[in-house]
Amino acid sequence: MNRFIRNSVAGLLSSTMITGAAFAAGTHPETGEALADDQTFTYRILDEHSSVDPQVVEDVSGAEIVRDLFEGLMNQDEDGNLVPGVATGYTVDDSKKVYTFTLRDNAKWSNGDPVTAGDFVFAWKRAVDPALSSPYAWFMELMSIENASAIIAGEKPVDDLGVKAIDDTTLEVTLSAPLPYFPQMTTHSTTFPAPQKVIAEFGDEWTKPGNIVSNGAYVLTEHLPQERSVRERNEMYWDNDNTIIDKVVALVINDENVALTRYLAGELDRTEVPAGQFPRLQEEHPDEAISFPRLCNYYYTFNVSDSGPEEFKDPKVRQALSLAVDRDIITKNIKAGGEPPAYTFVPEATAGFTVPVVEMASMSQAERDELAKELLAEAGFGADNPLTFSMVYNTSEAHKKVAVALSQMWKQKLGANVELANMEWKVFLEERGNQNFDLARGAWCGDYNEASTFLDLLQSDSGYNDGKYNNARVDELLAEAKTSDDPAPLYTEVERIIAQETPVIPIYHYAGVYMMDSDVGNWPVKNVEQNWYSKNLYKIAE
Amino acid sequence: MLGKSQKAAHLAEEITDYTAVQGRSLWQDARMRFVRNKAAMASVFILLLIVLFTIIGPYFAVWSNEEIDWNVMGDVRGMGMPSMETGHYFGVDDLGRDLYSRVIQATTTSLLVGLIGAATALIVGTCYGITAGYFGGRTDGAMMRFVDILLAIPTTLIIILLLVVAGRSFFTLFIALGAVGWLTMSRIVRGQTLALKNREFIEAARAAGVSEFTIMYRHILPNLLGVVIVYASLLVPEMILTESFISFLGLGISEPYTSLGRLIAEGAGTMGYGTLWQLMFPLTFYVAIIITMFFIGDGLRDALDPKDR
Amino acid sequence: MLAYVIRRVLTAIPTILLLIVACFFLMHYAPGGPFTSERTLPPQVLANIEARYGLDQPLWKQLWDYLYNIVVHFDFGPSFKFKDRDVNDIIAQGFPISLTYGSLSFLVATVVGIGLGIAAAIRHNSWIDYFAVGLGIAAQALPNFIMGPILILTFTLWLGWLPGGGWNGGQWPYLIMPVIALATSYMGSIARITRSSMLEVLNSNFIRTARAKGLPTRTVIWRHAMKPTLLPVVSYLGPVFVYVLTGSVFVDIYFSTGGLGQAYVGSALSRDYAVLLGVTILYGVLTVLVNLLTDLAYAWFDPKIRY
Repeated sequence: MNRFIRNSVAGLLSSTMITGAAFAAGTHPETGEALADDQTFTYRILDEHSSVDPQVVEDVSGAEIVRDLFEGLMNQDEDGNLVPGVATGYTVDDSKKVYTFTLRDNAKWSNGDPVTAGDFVFAWKRAVDPALSSPYAWFMELMSIENASAIIAGEKPVDDLGVKAIDDTTLEVTLSAPLPYFPQMTTHSTTFPAPQKVIAEFGDEWTKPGNIVSNGAYVLTEHLPQERSVRERNEMYWDNDNTIIDKVVALVINDENVALTRYLAGELDRTEVPAGQFPRLQEEHPDEAISFPRLCNYYYTFNVSDSGPEEFKDPKVRQALSLAVDRDIITKNIKAGGEPPAYTFVPEATAGFTVPVVEMASMSQAERDELAKELLAEAGFGADNPLTFSMVYNTSEAHKKVAVALSQMWKQKLGANVELANMEWKVFLEERGNQNFDLARGAWCGDYNEASTFLDLLQSDSGYNDGKYNNARVDELLAEAKTSDDPAPLYTEVERIIAQETPVIPIYHYAGVYMMDSDVGNWPVKNVEQNWYSKNLYKIAE
Repeated sequence: MLGKSQKAAHLAEEITDYTAVQGRSLWQDARMRFVRNKAAMASVFILLLIVLFTIIGPYFAVWSNEEIDWNVMGDVRGMGMPSMETGHYFGVDDLGRDLYSRVIQATTTSLLVGLIGAATALIVGTCYGITAGYFGGRTDGAMMRFVDILLAIPTTLIIILLLVVAGRSFFTLFIALGAVGWLTMSRIVRGQTLALKNREFIEAARAAGVSEFTIMYRHILPNLLGVVIVYASLLVPEMILTESFISFLGLGISEPYTSLGRLIAEGAGTMGYGTLWQLMFPLTFYVAIIITMFFIGDGLRDALDPKDR
Repeated sequence: MLAYVIRRVLTAIPTILLLIVACFFLMHYAPGGPFTSERTLPPQVLANIEARYGLDQPLWKQLWDYLYNIVVHFDFGPSFKFKDRDVNDIIAQGFPISLTYGSLSFLVATVVGIGLGIAAAIRHNSWIDYFAVGLGIAAQALPNFIMGPILILTFTLWLGWLPGGGWNGGQWPYLIMPVIALATSYMGSIARITRSSMLEVLNSNFIRTARAKGLPTRTVIWRHAMKPTLLPVVSYLGPVFVYVLTGSVFVDIYFSTGGLGQAYVGSALSRDYAVLLGVTILYGVLTVLVNLLTDLAYAWFDPKIRY
């Protein structure tokens, strides 16, 4: 029926509902592995999280914490499929616009209060309330909940939001238009319930340890900003018996090299691998260095707007530059973390996306270089008239390496004069957003597991379309895909057009490259969005 | 008799000597003393060697400072170490670029940045500090409160704004460095001036009707120079390192060009990964510059000390 | 003297006010705002956020409200980036940490630096002089971003003696590396300035006179040479003291200490206006106070200095 939920929720119910209290003997109930006595999971985060308020949080490390503290209607399993959370299941009416979720009656807040449909209604209204001004209010718009846009714009009162509690365990959501992947979106932190009483009592202070009440498998017990945050087992959690990890510690370590040193010293169970270090670490620690595909891309975008250089208005020039990029060198020699080279904008790992046959992908690099030279010559550039442009990227060791390698490829193969300019992050965003560049770095991580989260960037009126690429046919195809039952061919066609016109140069698709202590069990490497839940992990006795 | 005449001859010699000393200016005197200082002269020599190396070195380079050695870049740890055969005398950086050429280019940049930045700070800070300290009172109060404000405004903000207003260039980099460096210098100079202006010889000069400017220039400045020069020689390494922060914000030097501060920072990041040469070569040049600055500063201080005749 | 102090404290008020105004406008004219992000916010959402933080008001009104809240409520506003906390929280949490490791580092750097400098000057051109000079150079040659990784590699990974970072309420194992890293970066300079200043003083007429009178060296140095020697050192220590007290961004980054240095630089980079202003004001107040103290110290070190 719809393309996103291939496994029916009902089918999954049984597999996750294993009866608890089975690991008294210290073995994992399913795998039988011996469990460690100390069930503490410690991991590194790059930067202090923005918030642990589910409706306010906007960064990845914050969302990871919130996913442990709160539980939404639906969760994701290890493969990214939908599994029940607070809701045991849902039904959709014939118009495909009214969803009814049935909530479990044993879900409790950490203070013992039951989790009710009203808590969700409160939270969702809170998310769109201009008074709270959540930076993720747009997510509710994206979910197409009735009146969300009007409420955010201040045109309608908050109570008009298309969500209501029929009774304590029944939640009814009305959408403004059918949205096939709506249930998937209820795994996002913005849709998690919020404890009305606690927020009323403490106001802005409610997220502080001691005040905070949550309905997930963990409660926040300690928060030392810029240093660490600690979450511990929530005894009131409905599935507490099946939770193995007792305590999760997130350590803020800004420098990735220091983080790796501390990992090797045994202070961490998980940290990111710095670019280029994966092969060596894999050799030295074969059980610990892991790499898996992620739902993110890395690209350079041409400025094809009026303020962009004249040269880039010619598709041949753009194509030549893209062809001359040896992606294998970048993925194997610079990143070296198992990142797949990119010839399409959408990562291959995206659900329901079939990678189209792009001509460039099947050529050898020598053939590509040859073609690139031909195209550039056709466009009128050569030794006597070299192509000259500048490229910008935000300051970072990894971005710098890629940019330098690209500029050298273009210089050596095509004789182009490339000027490199790094910028501080906010200046970079401002300049790129104002089309104040020739060629600029870009990267995008999917908001949800579907090709449109990437391709929408190339829609002519998208706020994220910094290169101002404009193609009526692409817009048309993308609009059609929104409501189509089988959009895969449409996406494939968009990718074909992009490959031809080359408004962007896809470089590679991200991989999650980690050092993960071999005693950490069940890390969801197949979840491309990396929505992981501490309650599903365990520590194996060594 | 004989003894006496010898004494007289000695005396006569001393007198002639004395008049000869009288005829030499403070600066000539200083130069002589400086030339006699072995450590300082050795440092000047080493510094000249470094400069010479940055000039001649490129002729021996096999690789340019931006060229990537594609064969080496995938396995820098295994193949990128210093070697005469590959032509990478200092090894390669993390991207497979020749460190020899990069260190030469970085040393040139950093020496310029360090010396010009410190000189800007020295000139501005000294003029400002002397004026504030000498006139004292309200002038001093206002001028020093201004310094207080500038000290407290976040450098990051000033540099970002400078980037927007003036754009990225070598020249703005020096403005930024000068803007950062002169504040502490001015406080030190002002403190010394406060102490000096009440000394007897200044009061004597004033009583003799010497103009304010001449007092500042001829009598206070020479007595300040010792401390000022020592602090300026401390500023050189500070400037070299500050440059890497300014470049981080996008105002300084952009790739493929680099500086010692940045090479050291890159090397420090990867020092645990078996590519220690990436840290050691730039660090050696940096330390050599610091040491020479130390002894040159010291030698200048000794040479310029007006009391030390 | 008292009148001077009172006058200085009173002039501090317009100074800080000027600082706030200057910083406020610089901040707002810097490109990019607190809510500029890779995910460009839809205009309506952005408008709601700006309305909530009062950023839709004219600048003068924002400045006025900001000053009003400080004076009347002692409220420095909310953080735009860390939404669970406000500026008062951030400073209350970060400042004690910076203060602890900062003042310890300052103490170590000053005591060791001045001690080395004096010893080197007294025994000019002896082995102790060379040792002091060598140590000073070594301290200067290892900037923070080398010291940090070296210390962690050595003491955490290879020797396993010390935790690799964190604060833990400032227990001593967590303090050692930050203090060493921060102290060494200033120790060399302090030793250097002390040494050259002492050499100069020892050469001056009044010391020669004191020596000629036959006073023991020890007395000459402690009674007569000490105070003038320390005058330029104090000028240098003033700004250093402020830097060190408000923490070091390098220490905070490498050792995850959670101090104010990180908050300061981080807020400038993320354009977290209120945090940046709040920390700047703290910084400004400390600068003014410390500079007042150094000016008072001048008068103590050299009684001829009058204001």
